[in-house]
Amino acid sequence: MGMTELDRKLQARMLLGARVEGDRLMLDDAVLTAALDGSRPLTIGERAALQASPLTLRRFKALADTRRRAAAPAWSGSHGLLRAADSAGQFAALQTDDGMWRLHVVDSGGKLAVILQLDPHVPGAAQVLASKIEITVRDGAKAVVLRGSLDADGECEGPWPFATTPAAHFQQHGARFDVMPSA
Amino acid sequence: MRLPGTRYQEHGWEQVRKLLGQCSLQAFARLDSALLLDPDTDASLAAYVDTVAPLLYAAGARGEQAGNSYGDSVAELALTLTFELQARPADWAALCAAVGAEHARAGPFWRRPGGEAQLRKKFNDVYAVLRDKVDSDNYQIACGRACSPNRMYAYRMLDTAYHELARLFAAWHQHLEQVGAILERTIVALPIEARQLRSIADCRPEWILRWSEHQERFAGAPGPLHTRSKRFAALKDNPDKIGAMLREIGDYEQLSANADHDWLQEREDAGAWLDDYWRVLNESETGSTPGPDQILEAQQDEPAAPDSGAPAEPAPPAPDDREAARLALVTRQLSLPPDYLLAAAALEDRTSWTARRMSDVSLPVRLAVYLKLLGPFDDSYPSEWLDPASGELPTMQQLALLDGISLPTLRKRRDAAIAHLNAAPAIGAATEEERRWA
Repeated sequence: MGMTELDRKLQARMLLGARVEGDRLMLDDAVLTAALDGSRPLTIGERAALQASPLTLRRFKALADTRRRAAAPAWSGSHGLLRAADSAGQFAALQTDDGMWRLHVVDSGGKLAVILQLDPHVPGAAQVLASKIEITVRDGAKAVVLRGSLDADGECEGPWPFATTPAAHFQQHGARFDVMPSA
Repeated sequence: MRLPGTRYQEHGWEQVRKLLGQCSLQAFARLDSALLLDPDTDASLAAYVDTVAPLLYAAGARGEQAGNSYGDSVAELALTLTFELQARPADWAALCAAVGAEHARAGPFWRRPGGEAQLRKKFNDVYAVLRDKVDSDNYQIACGRACSPNRMYAYRMLDTAYHELARLFAAWHQHLEQVGAILERTIVALPIEARQLRSIADCRPEWILRWSEHQERFAGAPGPLHTRSKRFAALKDNPDKIGAMLREIGDYEQLSANADHDWLQEREDAGAWLDDYWRVLNESETGSTPGPDQILEAQQDEPAAPDSGAPAEPAPPAPDDREAARLALVTRQLSLPPDYLLAAAALEDRTSWTARRMSDVSLPVRLAVYLKLLGPFDDSYPSEWLDPASGELPTMQQLALLDGISLPTLRKRRDAAIAHLNAAPAIGAATEEERRWA
């Protein structure tokens, strides 16, 4: 009760959509940043200025968003397990426990290709994508399954490197896999 | 030209402007242009935006083109600008005044041959002003430095001047005299400056000044810094300022050419900043820093004149039996489920802040508010609010019928309800309530 998701969206929409004729930046970044990190709360006059100036509020939002992005813990690796059903020979997509990655193996012109996909909705996914780091997928025995950088859609593709089928391979090598930044 | 935050300063603007002109004329072909003479400009603005928005959505190939290098389409940019217009009624009133003045002089000019072009020009003018307002705001939000629409216009003038200069330098052998006047020497061979000029950041302010100074002689019309207009008076005698602006455009061009995609980041919890906002207000209320206030001085002599929200209209009477019969008839006409309003009302969270703030308006008006602010479909709508036929909220026409009022009245009540929600004290009070519940 109280603030529903609908309420929050409407409030955000109204706060950001308001315009005041002749509006301008009323508070500088130092004042807004100090208020955001709690080191110097706004004075009564500054608070009134922030509430009366949609433009200043939108600058506040930009600073708050930047701060939240910087504060989000950096991704350092994900792990996943082979599901029991996969041992039967049919290989379905694997997912890491944190939900950030999916690993597919597909038939690509008679050859097997392995595709790693980043879920953009998972917290921290945007930073991973923006960082453009190289990523390595390993099986349970630490052998490299795939190595490469993500494209703009958050995908990385390469040939399936083993002679055995994916289901059999993962089954024989610890039934797990890791997705890590390449060291 | 690209600058931090700006969206409307690249070549695609030409298409955005054309699309807005075309769809605005179509909208008034439906609405009757005489509406622009109505003294109730709030009503005509609401009718215009509601009519033009679907036309922009359905604009087809022209709308799908890229409007800038950030991936915004022409239609998206045009739509955003009409919604911006809606939030700036003074700009709309200026358009209506311009149409009114023309009408006073020449009658219903839009019906005469060539009158359409005249009307389109009025829309072009209002959006030309608006795009620089929007982008100077966007610039300030992106980098925290003051900027005015006039300054945005000046950046663009300098960018255009640079491109003209670069063109002359590249074809120096065809423009010996003009390039010589700009460089203040006689040109006999490829000037070193022409080879060194690779980006706007390399452009020297004195070249721009001399180019403008000699435009009258070489192009027949005075250059932008040498017209009688006072528009660039502050720049004309200030090469350092011109140089800084040229470098800023160049530096950002380079930076944004290999920019990271920021589209993904916007998809993250887009409302998280609200928590920061409420926390900052709360911390200020419970332990505000004793003065003095550190409020920025205005850089331009533009006095702020906040306007007060319009008062909400009185609540419509509660439905009685006759009303129930009317509703049953109306829902049948609309092919909505017969108990649509009952079901929709039952699924509305009446304890929510929004519903309580709008408890004095009817459910169709409240739905019209959601339609306006969040669009026809949103994850947060209960499915009982949606028209089973479309999977979306009922349209404005359907909502007006449901409420037994005319479309303009529904628009009025909707906008009054939004103004009421929007009134600054309401937001403050709501945040206090929110904190009590948190």
